[in-house]
Amino acid sequence: METVEFGGKTFSVDEDGFIDSFDNWCPEWVQYVKSVEGIDELNDEHSKLVDVLRDYYEKNGIAPMVRVLSKVTGFKLKHIYELFPSGPGKGACKMAGLPKPTGCV
Amino acid sequence: MAFISSGYNPDKPMVNRITDIGPKYYEEFYPPVIKKNKGKWLYHEILEPGICVHVAESGDELYVLRVGGCRIMSVSHIREINEIADKHCDGYLRFTTRNNIEFMVDSKDKVEPLKNDLLSRKQPGGCYKFPLGGTGAGITNIVHTQGWIHCHTPATDASGTVKATMDVLFDQFTDMKLPAKLRVSMACCLNMCGAVHCSDIAILGYHRKPPMLDHEYLDKMCEIPLAVAACPTAAIKPAKVEVNGQQVKSVSVKAERCMFCGNCYTMCPSMPLADTEGDGIVLMAGGKISNRISAPKFSKVVVAFIENEMPRWPTMTKAIKKMVDTYAGDANKYERFGDWAERIGWEKFYEKTGLEFTHHLIDDFRDPAYYTWRQTTNFKFTNAIK
Ligand code: HEM
Ligand code: HEM
Ligand code: SF4
Ligand code: SF4
Repeated sequence: METVEFGGKTFSVDEDGFIDSFDNWCPEWVQYVKSVEGIDELNDEHSKLVDVLRDYYEKNGIAPMVRVLSKVTGFKLKHIYELFPSGPGKGACKMAGLPKPTGCV
Repeated sequence: MAFISSGYNPDKPMVNRITDIGPKYYEEFYPPVIKKNKGKWLYHEILEPGICVHVAESGDELYVLRVGGCRIMSVSHIREINEIADKHCDGYLRFTTRNNIEFMVDSKDKVEPLKNDLLSRKQPGGCYKFPLGGTGAGITNIVHTQGWIHCHTPATDASGTVKATMDVLFDQFTDMKLPAKLRVSMACCLNMCGAVHCSDIAILGYHRKPPMLDHEYLDKMCEIPLAVAACPTAAIKPAKVEVNGQQVKSVSVKAERCMFCGNCYTMCPSMPLADTEGDGIVLMAGGKISNRISAPKFSKVVVAFIENEMPRWPTMTKAIKKMVDTYAGDANKYERFGDWAERIGWEKFYEKTGLEFTHHLIDDFRDPAYYTWRQTTNFKFTNAIK
């Protein structure tokens, strides 16, 4: 696995830049993903999405469906894309330290 | 190679971004004769294999020359297609739903020069670049998938099996002697991208071994509940296992419940199952999508397993050829493969084709399996079942 250095920390990532383990997530990781995912300024709404994703993953062992994410956060899909230009999977889940989405994506 | 920017600024990815513009409007690419006569066609005729004429109310004619396409093609090949279109068709052409290429001209005298040009072009190895055919009651292109060229879940190759099969069936591509159209399709795993479930004859990649479990990484890379829910036979359950003296979350697979679909690997990268000796090919037959006379049908499994024999798959192509030849000699005019097999009875199908009937072919998936068994005394004695 490749490693990246950011904010004084070292992360192992796969070829798409997803972190190797949910447990190795930390605030520096969030900053790193911000720098590669085309996000200018992190705000409370970004944090809310990340918190909901991590909380849901911890409880259920899976990422929430997009409809669940919208319902819990109150953000429509369009707004999620405004926050994360790459979308809820490649952007938000990556920042939240969840495993890379699978299936016929 | 040196980096050449397209003007995209990675520091400001959303600046000057164009999105949601959709495909080009197809009318922009209509040849003039199609634009003029759209919705006003009277009838068509297949003049010879690969050449159709469409006649409009206005009296205008459109001659269409259909040639085989290998589907995966280089930019140089597409440029050659463009060159032909520029030379003969005012720069217009189209691709069909089976990935054949159609060159269109608006008068009869343009047909011969185009035909001669197309047939004169060959690959350095000797293959036709643009074989004319694919019309009427013959065998047109094989709808197929990615195989070992690009996908991560295949059990066989797509381009290789298709080339081997089309070489064996080439005479049927360039002729129209069959009772009806015969569609061959190919998919390299039972995701069945494409049309294998509804084709006259279908080639399908198949595994025969359960997934391997990469316990060390499984919980890190996979959403375990997704892997569990991915299994059609409920062979997977969550499990705690020890790796290097540490308890980790993972899954366990009950091998005798697994039928090697590979769906768990699609969801979970830590459950790979591809295997050199285990993987191979299943043949299916009798499907169709048109509503012509009989309703659309699913194709049925008729050969349980054939080994992957790269690069020519001789056992597979022999079995396909045998099915095509038997159907060609036995079916009535207009009867599709499935119409024929159902009329004569599948037991006669096995007798006539000489394919082996094995227990693998008997449906055992959930309640609907029962309806595929025979609840009647109507059957024919055959020597197919030993
Ligand atoms: C709603 C519109 C349409 C539907 C639902 C439709 C559907 C289909 C289907 C199901 C097939 C058979 C694929 C197979 O053989 O497995 C087919 C083939 C074909 N269609 Fe269409 N089609 C439509 C419009 C058109 C139009 C507008 C054209 C011509 C401009 C066209 C030309 C063809 C041709 C030439 C083939 C044969 C291709 C080949 O064998 O290489 N279709 N179509
Ligand atoms: C009265 C008018 C027409 C009738 C009754 C008619 C009927 C048919 C029939 C019976 C088939 C063969 C289907 C099969 O073998 O399963 C066919 C194929 C086809 N028709 Fe027509 N058709 C008519 C007009 C047209 C027109 C105006 C066009 C195009 C502008 C057209 C395009 C085609 C094509 C592309 C095929 C498939 C040829 C092939 O792939 O071999 N048809 N038609
Ligand atoms: S059929 Fe399976 S292996 Fe082939 S391209 Fe589709 S998903 Fe990939
Ligand atoms: S290969 Fe298919 S049947 Fe076997 S465990 Fe995986 S999902 Fe279940």
